[in-house]
Amino acid sequence: MSPVALQPRRRIGWATWATFIIAALFAWSLIAIEFSPGRMIQVPGQVARVLSFFWPADMAYGWDAVLPAIVESIQIAWIGTIIAAILSLPLALFGARTLYPRIARFVKLISATARAFPEILLAIYFVPIVGLGAFAGALAIGISSVGMLTKLGSEVVESIDFGPVEAVQASGGSRLLALRYAVVPQVLPEIVAHWLFRFELNIRASAVLGVVGAGGVGGVLLNTLRYRHFEKAAAVLILTIIVVLIIDMVSGEIRRRIIRS
Amino acid sequence: MPDRPARNWWLWGGSIAFLIAMTWWSAVGIGFSITELACNITGGTRLLQESWPPAFGFLPRLVEPFMETIYIAIIGTVVGGILAVPVAVLAARNLTLGPWVWFADRNFMNVLRTLPDLFWAMLFATAVGFGPVAGALALSVFTIAVVSKLWSESLEAIDMGLPEAVRSVGGSWLQMVQFGAIPQGLQHYVSYVLYAFELNVRASMVLGLVGAGGIGMILETQRANFEYERVTMIILAVLVAVLIIEQISESIRKKLT
Repeated sequence: MSPVALQPRRRIGWATWATFIIAALFAWSLIAIEFSPGRMIQVPGQVARVLSFFWPADMAYGWDAVLPAIVESIQIAWIGTIIAAILSLPLALFGARTLYPRIARFVKLISATARAFPEILLAIYFVPIVGLGAFAGALAIGISSVGMLTKLGSEVVESIDFGPVEAVQASGGSRLLALRYAVVPQVLPEIVAHWLFRFELNIRASAVLGVVGAGGVGGVLLNTLRYRHFEKAAAVLILTIIVVLIIDMVSGEIRRRIIRS
Repeated sequence: MPDRPARNWWLWGGSIAFLIAMTWWSAVGIGFSITELACNITGGTRLLQESWPPAFGFLPRLVEPFMETIYIAIIGTVVGGILAVPVAVLAARNLTLGPWVWFADRNFMNVLRTLPDLFWAMLFATAVGFGPVAGALALSVFTIAVVSKLWSESLEAIDMGLPEAVRSVGGSWLQMVQFGAIPQGLQHYVSYVLYAFELNVRASMVLGLVGAGGIGMILETQRANFEYERVTMIILAVLVAVLIIEQISESIRKKLT
């Protein structure tokens, strides 16, 4: 038999081993958290029972209390994105290996550390510093978005065409002029698209920040569920889904147009 | 020399005006103020002093909840990863069973994606009670949302020759998907599931804040008691663990592609 024909057989063996290991880990995890088959059978019934309390949704509460909270979540996400955009633009330039080989490594390390923090953990620190409320949430979102925007931004900068940079420098332009006239115009559309994408993610992030008292709709949901006002919780869910869907659609459409032009 | 292309001033002016208006409105809405930030710097430094050094003696008590966090992430990834397969296949335009199925599945997927992970955790914690089971269920739903969205897009990009070949020799729809489509998308699937696992590890650290098990539950009690030295210890441990798991997962993903 030729070696070429033997190749697939070895790969199948590898995949079988991986499946076996994952299945074993899965079973072990189920046992460890005491998720027995008996418990598993109960789950659909429990979920259905709680869901049945959700109807009819208390939309009057929705308009009066939930919608302002959702608006606050959007504002938190917006300010957070703006903070992150302003901070990440210079960092993205310094983080590009092709432009600043030595500084880039350092910048990349910082952005990797910033990305590892879930924003809600940052909010735990910002709440005692600036007080309960939306301002703490916006700061947490802003700081935690810097990492990802810096990473994506510097990747965009690394992929540019170096012709214009050399052209500016060949005609006597300084490094700063080269950045302004050769680098920024090339990268800005894609970077703005990343900002918008991050804004979409930040809407979801800011929605949960209320759990630690940093403003927005998460706190409302937590309280309605805690006091078992399920009709009110239903209003929170319905309005959140609708608003997020609309923002996703609008923002996605703008991103597509920016990238195309 | 060619003329400089004319700018669309209406579009530029409109966008910038919108940007400024939106920022102004939001800043007022959330009470953004530099003065407040400056005034609270003293409080901030006090907090930082209180939260340093981390309480290393607390570390042994973190082992058990930390393991619980990993269990939650594994269960969520496996269950969600399996359930995402039919959702993704039916949402791929070239494989789906019909326009109505495609439309319904697509919308189902989008709605799943709108709610953040902690919302699912709150809902499941209410339904099945506080504890890791709620967290595992929440992450399952979250994984379906992430994997099905990404994978349905890469399934739409596969070479349709193979599935059509299976169909033309009399294979059923299921056989077409199983032998014609899934083998082509398998590598992407594995890398998306690993990516979802990274997200799940990170999410499962905070699920406990709403009572869905794992290390977040300890974090919540220590935070409520203002034991900030312990909070720092927990966060540092989480950070190190997340970075290690991400490195491993990323190196596997790089080998796959």
